[in-house]
Amino acid sequence: MPVALARIDDRLIHGQVTVGWGAQLRPDLILLANNAIAADAWQTRVYASSVPPEVEVAILSVHAAAARLAEAETSGERILLLTGTPGEMAELVRLGAPVARVNVGGLHYSAGKQEMLPFVYVDRQDLRALRRLLELGVALAAQQVPGGRAHPLGRQQLDEMEARV
Amino acid sequence: MIRSLVITHGRIGEELVRVAGMILGPQEGLDAMSNAHRSAQDITEAVRAWLGPAAESSPAVILVDDYGGSCATASQLACEGRKDVAVLSGVNLAMILGFLTWRDSSDHADLVTRLVAKGREAIVRLGTR
Repeated sequence: MPVALARIDDRLIHGQVTVGWGAQLRPDLILLANNAIAADAWQTRVYASSVPPEVEVAILSVHAAAARLAEAETSGERILLLTGTPGEMAELVRLGAPVARVNVGGLHYSAGKQEMLPFVYVDRQDLRALRRLLELGVALAAQQVPGGRAHPLGRQQLDEMEARV
Repeated sequence: MIRSLVITHGRIGEELVRVAGMILGPQEGLDAMSNAHRSAQDITEAVRAWLGPAAESSPAVILVDDYGGSCATASQLACEGRKDVAVLSGVNLAMILGFLTWRDSSDHADLVTRLVAKGREAIVRLGTR
């Protein structure tokens, strides 16, 4: 399994990922799947420069990231996979990305979102995508940093949230 | 006037600005912002709003705590194409005091060079020089 951690985090590449999880998991590659950033040379440069020099970084469209993950299945690489939204992660898994569990690491407040946990705010669209991940056989847990508490997210948690958004 | 925004995790920036005011007196054009409870996009938009329209020349120095962190990334994205704005990481009190001391007597490029040097010089193993 090449994916050492698959994480949904709307801050994308930042300290919790590169320093926190990076130090714990020692990935060979940080792979950010994001269509808008992959299509913009400046944003790609800024985000890529946030990664420590000893770790490879790739910023790809969701489709290209799925293809890259399929290639990695035989390469023995350890990959830290990132998306900014549950929808993009669900799309990766639908495209065949080998992801068995997903870490919901940070979804910050914005208009129309409700608090599920202090670091996880969701709307209906997010909940639909999380539900799709469960249906695709992916286990979900919310956890910000290594050593922090992991909150399993199952159907029951999503149902309770659904009633509130 | 060259302005500065100190943008950090938690209340580091707010406290640095407050303490700088305790040392040099209350200051205009020195603000603090936190990334707390904000997505990357929100932070970027907040920095953009602080900078104001690109058409108006408003030289600024943005000081962030962590290289590679969300504040650093958002600040860089917000400053795209703005030659009169520099983003420096590793903010410390010496840099803020240097900024306040030199901003009226230096041009922007010179100020930035001095602040980088000042920030580094402030890290000293005491009793060794």
